Order: sequence, then structure tokens, then C-alpha cells
Amino acid sequence: MRNRLKVLRAERDWTQGDLAERLGISRQSVNAIETGKYDPSLPLAFRIADLFAMRIEEIFLRD
Amino acid sequence: MSAGPGGTAWAGTRPWLWALGFGIALAAIAWGERVGLLGGWRSLPFMAAAMLLLWPMARSAENRARACGQGSPAMMRYNRRSMIWSMAYVVALGVAITARNRLAPEGPLLWLLAVLPSVPIVYFVWAMARYLVEEKDEYLRHRAVNAALIGLGLVLVLGTFWGFLETFGLAIHVPGWWVVPIWAIGLGLGQGWMTLRERRGGGE
Repeated sequence: MRNRLKVLRAERDWTQGDLAERLGISRQSVNAIETGKYDPSLPLAFRIADLFAMRIEEIFLRD
Repeated sequence: MSAGPGGTAWAGTRPWLWALGFGIALAAIAWGERVGLLGGWRSLPFMAAAMLLLWPMARSAENRARACGQGSPAMMRYNRRSMIWSMAYVVALGVAITARNRLAPEGPLLWLLAVLPSVPIVYFVWAMARYLVEEKDEYLRHRAVNAALIGLGLVLVLGTFWGFLETFGLAIHVPGWWVVPIWAIGLGLGQGWMTLRERRGGGE
């Protein structure tokens, strides 16, 4: 699954560490999600969507 | 726990170096058994000494996680518990070996001494299970489960492979307590493989 996390983060001038802190997860996790190595669970995907005030499908895209 | 002077800074931030030392120590013990220098209970003190390397390895992993802003409270607890069980294992092994050599026990005492080194391993399995329960970061939990499965796979493959070699009289007998060190090697390889995969994927 592709995602727009890196772009959204860059638009806000956040580092991976900033995003990790806001989501309450490790920077390692943010990196794994951004690079497509790991697809987050639905609860985490909702937390990410809430943080960016967007819908999940606007952030995570089908391959 | 401090990573500063008098703390854990001495362990560094490269856990793979300690893991490599652990692997080399295990290989040396295996070689000693192969050439007849070691074997059975004579290998145990050397195994206990090798297990001591797991302590700085855990500290080093903790230092690295702290330095990189990674890790989690659950992982720190797991590392501390790992140190407890590895130290308890060394102590239990030392007590069991010393008592066996000096007291020449028989009956229930011999049974007790033989079981003693296994008790910390029960704590180790509990600590691993607690980590999976307590870890709130789902990706770190996913990594730990994958690494544990890789360790399990290594134990199953090597155990079966070696077991048949033994059955056909082609290899020496290997005591069952080797499963934990072999599993730990698999766990380390699994973590290393996933870290490599993350680095290839890019990041900041």
C-alpha cells in the first residue's frame, strides 16, 4: 500500500521524530510506514488521519 | 538508568559487536566439543561466560535506541528483565556446577541442581511474552514477533537437521539446552535483517 505520509509531513515541516512524537510511536515506526515496509493497523491509520485532519483514503492509497 | 560515566556508556551503541562476540564464543564452544576438549557439563561454565555477553548487548541496544530516539518503555523493561534472567542463569549454572562437583549429589538434590539453571529460562520466556503484551508500538511489536519466529525457525531447522545426523550416527550428541542460544542467534539475525531492510527503504 502506498501512502502520502512523507509529503504531508514535509508540508508541515515535521521531521519523522516530530510525527512520531505526535502519534506516540517510535521514529522507526514512522520510517517503516512512510517507506511502505509496514502497513499500519486500522486504529493507527485513524490516528494518523485525525492528526492530518484528513480521511484515511486520502493518505493511504491502493497499489 | 544512566548512559553516562559509571552508567552503561561502556557498552557502546553497537549491539551487533556483542552479538558477534556471543556468536564467536558459541562457535568456540562447539569447536571445543567437536575436538573433545569440552562436552556435556564441562561446556556449561563456558556457556555461562558466553551468556554474560548478552548483558552488554542489551545495554548497548538500549543506548542505541536512546541515542536514536527509538525504543519504547516496554523495550527498556524487556532489556532490564533480560539482564536479570541472563545474570540469574549464570548464577544458577555456577551454583549447580559447583554443587555437583563438590557434593557429588544423588537423588532429589541432583534433580534440583539439574533443574535449577532452567528456572531463569522460564522467566526469560515470561519476559518475552510480557514484552509482546506491554509493547504499545505496533511496529516494534511486529518486529519482535517476526524476529522470534525467525529464531524459532532456526531452532526447528537446525534441531531437525542435527537430530537426523545424530540418528544416522554422523554427528555427536548436542544437549537440548542449546535451543536457547540458537534461538537467540536467530532472534538477532532476524532483528539485523529487518534493520537492513529498513535502511534500504530509506529514511531521514
